[in-house]
Amino acid sequence: MQFGVELTPRSEVPRWLVYATPVFTILAALAVSSVALLALDVAPLEAYRVLFVQTLTTEFGIRETLVEAVPLILAGLAVYLPLKAGLWNVGAEGQLVLGAVASTWVGLNVSLPAVFLLPLMFLAATVVGAIWAGVPAILKAKWDINEIITTLLLTFVAADVMSYLVRGPMQSPTGNFPQTAILPAAAQLPILPGLDVHAGLVVALVAAVLVYLLMTRTRFGFEVTFVGSNDAAAEHAGMSKTRVYVLVLVIGGVLAAFAGVAEIAGNQARLRAAFEPGYGFTAIPIALLGRDNALNVVLAGLFFAVLFVGGDSLSILMGVPAALIEIIQALIILFLITAEFFKRYSVDISTDLRVRGVRADAVGEDH
Amino acid sequence: MSFLANFLGATVSAATVFILAGLGELISERAGVLNLGVEGIMLVGALTGFITTVLTGNYWLGFLVGGCCGMAFSLLHGFLCISLKSDQAISGIMITLLGTGLTTYFGVDWTSRSISGFPDRTLPLIGDVLVEIPVVGPALFRNTMVDYFALLLVPLVWLFLYRTNLGLEIISVGEDPETADTMGVDVFKIKYLAVLLGGLMAGFAGAHLSLAFNQLWATGMTAGRGWIAVALVIFAQWRPARVLVGAYLFGLFSVLQLRSQALSLAFPSDVPFAALLNGILDFLLNPTIMATYPYLATLVVLFVVVYRNENSHLDQPSALVQSYTRESS
Repeated sequence: MQFGVELTPRSEVPRWLVYATPVFTILAALAVSSVALLALDVAPLEAYRVLFVQTLTTEFGIRETLVEAVPLILAGLAVYLPLKAGLWNVGAEGQLVLGAVASTWVGLNVSLPAVFLLPLMFLAATVVGAIWAGVPAILKAKWDINEIITTLLLTFVAADVMSYLVRGPMQSPTGNFPQTAILPAAAQLPILPGLDVHAGLVVALVAAVLVYLLMTRTRFGFEVTFVGSNDAAAEHAGMSKTRVYVLVLVIGGVLAAFAGVAEIAGNQARLRAAFEPGYGFTAIPIALLGRDNALNVVLAGLFFAVLFVGGDSLSILMGVPAALIEIIQALIILFLITAEFFKRYSVDISTDLRVRGVRADAVGEDH
Repeated sequence: MSFLANFLGATVSAATVFILAGLGELISERAGVLNLGVEGIMLVGALTGFITTVLTGNYWLGFLVGGCCGMAFSLLHGFLCISLKSDQAISGIMITLLGTGLTTYFGVDWTSRSISGFPDRTLPLIGDVLVEIPVVGPALFRNTMVDYFALLLVPLVWLFLYRTNLGLEIISVGEDPETADTMGVDVFKIKYLAVLLGGLMAGFAGAHLSLAFNQLWATGMTAGRGWIAVALVIFAQWRPARVLVGAYLFGLFSVLQLRSQALSLAFPSDVPFAALLNGILDFLLNPTIMATYPYLATLVVLFVVVYRNENSHLDQPSALVQSYTRESS
């Protein structure tokens, strides 16, 4: 039997496909992951019940999910915004780590009341986040050096710099552990009354709304979308690609650095050498899932927070290695980029036996 | 063995991983496909090679299985990037996540197993004489067969890329797929071939870690070496001979990290600003600071090359990171 595969670029993505993609992706990822569960003799449905239902029906689970979602949403936005301009910020992890370092340093070394100290910590993170994303931005805008490579390389540099500081100059004077001292109370984010979740949640939600408004209600947002869809046409229309590239990456870097501040000042209270949470990489599927608008990034961030929290209970209650979550995460990216293909092309597969002679020359040519 | 000989020997075996993975990544990128999945593919090669060796006791078979599993895993990257025209960077990061996740998930039971892997032996034929050379001799001529294999691959890959039709087709596809297609080159087939060769060699690199370098399996044992291999190809400006030089340099950095204390370099106190200079030296020789050198060196190379030849990226394949679609058929 011969196959002919016909690809036609779509001019418009059907509405149902836009809504079906995230749902289909997540279900497919869970379905494939159940093979890994079966390999360890774990019943997939029971495992997914623990993963989702248990997490979302207990007060503890919901609280943990919200705490976990704060850095995920901020890091997701840090990838989402540059993506809108056609740039990949795969270095959100490095910006996040340095934001954590800078704010921890300020928190430990400056003594001020909380109303001044906390903004100062966020300011310090703003500076390092802007620099760490600004360098790749300028290299990209001025010399067209691939931002994927530079943001990625700088992530590894950032992780090593943190490791050096936590084992050296910033190490807690008491004890031999590679970690800083605990932040003073004034340097810790307050708990939101009634919710039992730290105020980083407000920062994340406000950031999402601001990015949403920036993209939908301002001229700059329009320029970002324009540059992202056709940079040559945007330049013809008098827009500055350089300005857009630098601004989206710098804002992204600052948002990622905020994720680091929120995680340290809101959750962990001290910087440990092992602080390399991987949120900056999870931010990639989050931004892909929520790529339609910034508020969807919030939903995607919450979804991954459920996965992480549920993954912990899964490994405690059922002995399933927490690496399962990593597998699910990778599969979600896998199916998302597959879906992307079906959004861009309409695919016709013909297995036509009758006209084999006629079609033979076309067979195998369109991949 | 003297300190220096020991040091050189460690550098040679540390460089092997970078040579294998770097050459593989180079072939793939030469055909225009960036593979950021090396780290994950190496882990798959390391675990499958290790399991095979535990089960069969044959480390050569393990090495081969590790390479083949790496190749099979890279097929997924090829399918996504070439057939589905996905974003290469994102597909690669997915491959690394998936490889790390799968090997962590299924590798738990294998962490405490021991094997007898590749032994050190003198280079066949001429090694018995050369190994007598002081200091350099044992470092260069008493290694595992994988180390010799990696060194042999450098000229082989060079010959393959620049002196065979297939190699030149790979380069032409990475430079200008439209023209290559017009000239009758099957662009898709060549791209697949390059990605699979890259996966094979990344699998070998991983198997070298678990079967020769460490002779054990540990979760996440590649420890970022796959990312360094990606950086190495840029550092080497997509040239096989420079991959060799860069692999030794990055290998040297990684060995220095473990042994910088033993060096105890210091300026004598009669040098002006001795305290300050020693402080700077201490900082620069700090193991975690040294870990950043491969990345910083790559960034500097990337910048200098582009800055010096504005508008021309020297040897970077012109169609790197672009997916290819045939105009019409």
